Amino acid sequence: MSNYDFDRVSVLLVDDSPFIRSLIANSLKVLGVGNVYAVEHGGDAITFLQRVKNEPMKVGCQQIDIIVSNWDMHPIDGMMFLRWVRRHKDSPDRFVPFVMITSYTEPDRVMQAREMGVTEMLAKPFTVKSVGEKLVSIIERPRQFVHTKDYFGPDRRRQAIQMPDGRDRRVLTDKSEGVEIIRG
Amino acid sequence: MANGKPVIVRFYRFKNRLKEKTAGLNPTGKVTLSAEAMEEAEKALSKMSEDYPDWVSGLVGKMQEQHGRCVDTPESRKECFEEIARIAHDMKGQGGTFGYPLITAFSDSLYGFTQIKGDIEDAVVELVKAHIDAMRAVIRGRVAGSGGDIGKSLTEGLNEAIAKYSV
Repeated sequence: MSNYDFDRVSVLLVDDSPFIRSLIANSLKVLGVGNVYAVEHGGDAITFLQRVKNEPMKVGCQQIDIIVSNWDMHPIDGMMFLRWVRRHKDSPDRFVPFVMITSYTEPDRVMQAREMGVTEMLAKPFTVKSVGEKLVSIIERPRQFVHTKDYFGPDRRRQAIQMPDGRDRRVLTDKSEGVEIIRG
Repeated sequence: MANGKPVIVRFYRFKNRLKEKTAGLNPTGKVTLSAEAMEEAEKALSKMSEDYPDWVSGLVGKMQEQHGRCVDTPESRKECFEEIARIAHDMKGQGGTFGYPLITAFSDSLYGFTQIKGDIEDAVVELVKAHIDAMRAVIRGRVAGSGGDIGKSLTEGLNEAIAKYSV
């Protein structure tokens, strides 16, 4: 048994509250995360990701491994930013794990983020334990990405639950016509 | 697709790069978060939470300055209100996180009053003052949680001011 070493991990942290920003950045650093890049809102985050893509040497970062973003921000909020990351042609990595921090925990808000392709939700008020658990979940339980005509994001089915009659809930299997598997 | 049939769904399955990066020389074994690091991080977080009232106090001070400008130079009210709105929004999101839901409630209410489209009347400037005073009282008294009787009287006082100046 050994401990995770987050030294080579780069996190992009997006939050418009300076206090919360330094709080999370500090927690991540104490947990050993090597690089934490903190910006104020979704617009700054998009600019930052484009810079990482276009001039990595100058930024000093080759790739962002995990995004941690607040939802409620101005002018570009977390959902708009998530949409850009998952769907925009200029997005440098449409598969990057995306953690949304929010005090909106009503089921329909959570569903909204899920439909946009969020990886994990971190509810406020948060604890160091909950931040750590999200990191572990991202590392240990990565999900395949699913691309259909109306969804792009991590597989929304985390559990292999069978229908009452024993069938799989998913209509298509790997061998079905119209299913393409991309490995990398 | 080889037979020209349209693709309905694509599954992307990648190898776990993040695990390779973080599990070091032990990519298949059991890896955990360092207990010491977690403890350190918990300490850092609670230390910062202790600083929260002081930090908020600084923000309220900034609002107070903006309020002063609203009184002294009525022509700059619009931009002062923008700044006050920005600070109130910031405070709104986190009071509850650190055990001060009254700060969240008062800043939420204040934020609402800063979203005025037309001219900013003296009465609204007074309302900003009432909110600032209520928040100061919360911080000075370290009124955490719902604040019991003190919290109740602060909320009532603010509501009275709102009723008085909103007409």
